Amino acid sequence: MAKMTIDGKEHEFEDGMNLFEACAVARGENLPHFCYHPGLSIAGVCRMCQVEVEGMPKLMIACNSQVKDGMVVHTRNERVDGAVRQILNFHLLHHPVDCPVCDQAGECSLQDFYMANGLYEADVDIEDKIAKGKVKPIGEMVMLDAERCVLCARCTRFTTEITQTHEMGIFNRGDHSEIDVAPGKTLDNNYSLNTVDICPVGALTSRDFRFRRRVWWLSETDGICHGCATGCNMSIHHSEGIVYRTKPRDNMDVNRYWMCDHGRTLYHEIAESDRLTQPSVRKARGELAQTASWDHAYRSIEAAGKALGGDDAALMIILSPHATVEELYAAKSVLSDSVGGALLGYRLRGSEIGEGDELLFDADRTPNAAGAKKLGLAEYDAKQLEAAANEKTMLLVVGGDLALAAPDAGAALSKFGCVVYLGWQENSTSMLADIVLPTSHYAEREGTFVNREGRAQTFAAAIDAPGEARDPLRVIRELGALFGHEPTWDGIEAVRSELCAREGAFAAMAQGVGPLGLALDAAAESEVERA
Amino acid sequence: MGYSVHGPKARTGGQGQGLLPKESLYLIEICKGLFITMRHLVRNVFHMGDMPTLQYPDEKPDYGPWLRGRHRLMKREDGSPRCVACQMCSTICPADCISIMAMDDDRPDVEKSPETFDIDLLRCVYCGLCVEACPCDAIRMDTGIFEIAADNRAAFQVDMDFLLNNTTDGVKS
Repeated sequence: MAKMTIDGKEHEFEDGMNLFEACAVARGENLPHFCYHPGLSIAGVCRMCQVEVEGMPKLMIACNSQVKDGMVVHTRNERVDGAVRQILNFHLLHHPVDCPVCDQAGECSLQDFYMANGLYEADVDIEDKIAKGKVKPIGEMVMLDAERCVLCARCTRFTTEITQTHEMGIFNRGDHSEIDVAPGKTLDNNYSLNTVDICPVGALTSRDFRFRRRVWWLSETDGICHGCATGCNMSIHHSEGIVYRTKPRDNMDVNRYWMCDHGRTLYHEIAESDRLTQPSVRKARGELAQTASWDHAYRSIEAAGKALGGDDAALMIILSPHATVEELYAAKSVLSDSVGGALLGYRLRGSEIGEGDELLFDADRTPNAAGAKKLGLAEYDAKQLEAAANEKTMLLVVGGDLALAAPDAGAALSKFGCVVYLGWQENSTSMLADIVLPTSHYAEREGTFVNREGRAQTFAAAIDAPGEARDPLRVIRELGALFGHEPTWDGIEAVRSELCAREGAFAAMAQGVGPLGLALDAAAESEVERA
Repeated sequence: MGYSVHGPKARTGGQGQGLLPKESLYLIEICKGLFITMRHLVRNVFHMGDMPTLQYPDEKPDYGPWLRGRHRLMKREDGSPRCVACQMCSTICPADCISIMAMDDDRPDVEKSPETFDIDLLRCVYCGLCVEACPCDAIRMDTGIFEIAADNRAAFQVDMDFLLNNTTDGVKS
């Protein structure tokens, strides 16, 4: 341990700890900086985090120093403040200060620092500033403005160290230095938008989010990406019921600081025209589905049940690894255990499996396959579905798209007496279904996913569901009531506590999952050890 | 000691208490008041020109250049809006009456421009903060137009075309 003094106060840190991190702990806020990023190597190029270390003739940059026993550090005195001001002036020298049209305004380090230091007036006339490339698309998702760059080299370090794709570099010398993509290359790897996140200024902006909303109007809600089995922690940025972007949320055990472009752009599906917003009922096979009220849809299900043979009619349920743990449990306990429907489990084949990479993106494109497994649900295969298909059976599909998992599922579906689909998006299963019940999107409801490592992670509802779409838990509850077995729970908290009490694999969730999730297996093991 | 928490004590006796009978008739005071009214009437009849009353709407008041009238959007030399859709005005607006949608502009010297620029004049409180916040003098309230009335709500929802073609007609020369 290193005992040291920062700004007149005694602190104790682990040996070898980065001085920048130590100062952040001691001050309660970070030192001014552009280039330091905990997920990247130390560059030490921005010179903003200079501190005074007693016994050293010159100021030192904190990010490239380590704590040492007996060190006396000053982070806020005249000498340090003056140095930071001078360095900041240097960064601003050729900066265009076009904050009004810059998308970074509001979350820009340079803007914050020059406001904090009162450097409102430019030392160089705009005509004398060195002009560099502006509005240059360097990839599918990223726009470059070289004039705004402070040459912190975060983006180049990211493409060198994290993705190892080496698209970006710093070109030219002196005050003509600028970042760009290497000749003939474009920044089009699946992690390109992370460079936008880590860019402390407006040099790299997201073409996806560009000019759509000023950042100070956005509210943030914690979400979990549903794009693959990794379950990256993200925050959903939304305003007035519209989701504008998603950004990674730091979680060292899952996604660290990063997130892939595939997951980030999934939010577009929330406002797509193929959302299911109103229940629909098809009178007979081959006819067009008509929109209906919820009441009418439920009555149609009842009528279909009677037409299939009343008490002789069978119910079969197919779940999906796209549904949350709570929904899977509710469907299993209410519709299968109480009502007596046969449970066919879920299926994970076909285009639900893609190509993954070593960084974050998993080959399994479903968010909750591990959760389904922990609930004891088994994978079915296409033959089972075909064997089960008969005229007297009502099939209830809870989420997902059967055709994604098995291309020939369509033929099997049409053999069932009646197909009811619960989901938020129009797909080939909803097209074939006789009755469609629209549910909310992941951003519009609460829930828990279990990721590939067995970590249970909860997410909150960011916005309201469109039209008449309802929370799937509510629909399952109402279906249970329709079949004469109204569940005792009401609301997600009650489902969760019942789930923790009845399913051993989820017992550890009873104490809450926390913002960073809970590794279920490890928690269960420590529970056993304690016992 | 201390303060009463129940407010002042109830007053004892009626309001007219303590006045002489002739005072409580208020006769002298009524005559005084009538005299003032008559004095003004006579003076106004013989000195019509000095009356401050304005014969609106035949006569219009001259509020001077500081009047914050209906907004207008300024144009560049080529006729396109000067606005860069930075949304400082809609951020500062206390009535939340300005809504702007920004778009990418293809012109080499213009990066961002407004796709739509709508003001809800019914919500506007004419505080002028939008004019002060604008970094490029794109929005002004110098039209001198203060007669903003209509018989339907839709007429108060003004868009970019309207605002760009708003003139300074209302300003008295």
